[in-house]
Amino acid sequence: MKTPVKPAIEEGGDAMTRRRALSWLSGFGLFGSLIITVFSNLIFIKPRATYGQPNRFSIGRPDDFPSGARVSLDERRVCIVRDGDKIAAISTTCTHLGCIVSVAETGFSCPCHGSHYDQDGNVTGGPAPRALPWFQVSLAPNGEIEVDKDSEIEAGNYLRV
Amino acid sequence: MSNHTTTRPWKSLIELPENIWRSVFRNPLPSSDLGRASTSFTNFFLHLHPVKIHRNSLRAAFTLGLGLISFFLFMILVVTGILLMFYYVPSTTQAYDRMLDLRGTVAFGIFLRNMHRWAAHGMVAAVFLHMCRVFLTGSYKPPREFNWVLGVLLLLLTLFLSFTGYLLPWDQLAFWAITVGTSIASYAPLVGSQVKFLLLGDSTVGQEALLRFYVLHVAVLPAVLSLLVAIHFWRIRKDGGLSRPAEEDALPVEAPATQVEVVQGPAVVMATSAAAAAAVKPVLQKRQYGIQGLVRGPFTKVGNVPDRSVFAWPNLFMAELVVFLITVAGVLLVSLFFNAPLEEPVNVMHPPNPAKAPWYFLGLQEQVSYSAFWGGVGIPTIEVVLLLLVPYIDRKIAGVGKWFARERLLANFLFLTFVITNIILIIIGTFFRGPNWEFVSPW
Repeated sequence: MKTPVKPAIEEGGDAMTRRRALSWLSGFGLFGSLIITVFSNLIFIKPRATYGQPNRFSIGRPDDFPSGARVSLDERRVCIVRDGDKIAAISTTCTHLGCIVSVAETGFSCPCHGSHYDQDGNVTGGPAPRALPWFQVSLAPNGEIEVDKDSEIEAGNYLRV
Repeated sequence: MSNHTTTRPWKSLIELPENIWRSVFRNPLPSSDLGRASTSFTNFFLHLHPVKIHRNSLRAAFTLGLGLISFFLFMILVVTGILLMFYYVPSTTQAYDRMLDLRGTVAFGIFLRNMHRWAAHGMVAAVFLHMCRVFLTGSYKPPREFNWVLGVLLLLLTLFLSFTGYLLPWDQLAFWAITVGTSIASYAPLVGSQVKFLLLGDSTVGQEALLRFYVLHVAVLPAVLSLLVAIHFWRIRKDGGLSRPAEEDALPVEAPATQVEVVQGPAVVMATSAAAAAAVKPVLQKRQYGIQGLVRGPFTKVGNVPDRSVFAWPNLFMAELVVFLITVAGVLLVSLFFNAPLEEPVNVMHPPNPAKAPWYFLGLQEQVSYSAFWGGVGIPTIEVVLLLLVPYIDRKIAGVGKWFARERLLANFLFLTFVITNIILIIIGTFFRGPNWEFVSPW
């Protein structure tokens, strides 16, 4: 008995054969899976909870800071400034590359790449691209000062205590 | 036959050592060309090399052995790195103590750490110099364009490996270098702060960052680097070995109308010269044969074709052994006399002044001190993109395989400008920058 010869599959034709449609679909599916895998991995490695320091913390009573004090809390990376009955918190993280700026007579200066800031955190020299941000300061019901590093405020906004 | 074994049962015992030896090493030490070919062919490690290689590839003055040195340094780094992993703990509270333990209590601990550190410095230097060699000899020209691209990626991986390893001792140097380094990443447009957050796993450098850098350093990056190295080597073979001047190939060839065979193995291929010539690209037609006409610049021809190739055994293998021994000896010597630096334990409140990155990043840090974006992201990105595109910009096929070919005066001049600028920036960053990154005189 003679085996029936299958018709050769047309290659190179423009017609959308079933085989070609299925190949396109599978290719699309495989490529899509790859994209989804990559994104899932990115989502996976982006932590939902962090274990570092909280961004909202209290720093003690207003009386702990005498008038004219400029106290740098290096662990919190803020400088508490008290001027009369006004109090504010200025970031001590250098806006250039994240080193801790030290409090100097003229304001702040960075040991890493030589950025200088004035008393209010405005850039006076060096490679820093912008001023040191000021953080929201509030008086908690228990009488302690709370600093919220998640909300930046305009420079010169003091809290009256 | 059965009679044989019954009468002399001890025979297999007597022959045991030899039989085992022969089952492992299929060839005795070769004394003929056939033997030299089969030795390369039947040994797993040797068969990564071609059976025959061009004499030009053996010229120490041409290659300076820099690619091999880079590879052997990587081997040293893998071995010493795995050994160090037995004692290291990626924890902010323990990492630094473990460094002290390596110094004080672990047998050979300080020596292994020295080897790892100095081999890492050496690898950065060797990979960079290898790139210079390849450029200045015009070796990235077709068909080797993509291997140059792989090489640039390998340089970047080497730098990133070294950067991630830098954090692990958790000393002052490490902490502040990583703080500065990841802040540079945050200047990248659009994705910058996301990249920084993903790298650190937190908003500041801490435990999460240490763990992440550890995983990158000991698993992810070495795996990727190994894969790219394998492809890099494989392509060297497929591109017909190392580059050489075209005239090296243009030998008078009397065409033997005979068949060519590749010695042994399942890949035995017979190809008539006519069939091969028909399949080989026109440019390569001066060559006589290829395995089914697929191999470019083949060295598999074993017939009586005159050429300038020599057997890999022993010429290439001895050369590789010598480079390997020199590399190991160099690392051992340096590690004997110089200890890897370890500074004070991390103090997140007081950056050292000045806080300096490792020497190969000091050029970058010097640039960064002028402008964080342009120095840290803009210019480096442009440099890397230009490096990647080099073989696609410079399409002239002239001056390949020669140091400082006259035809390549402009290209070499531009490249050397790039190299020297970076070296000058590194020198300034290393010796001329003091506290607050102010200009100081080293004298």
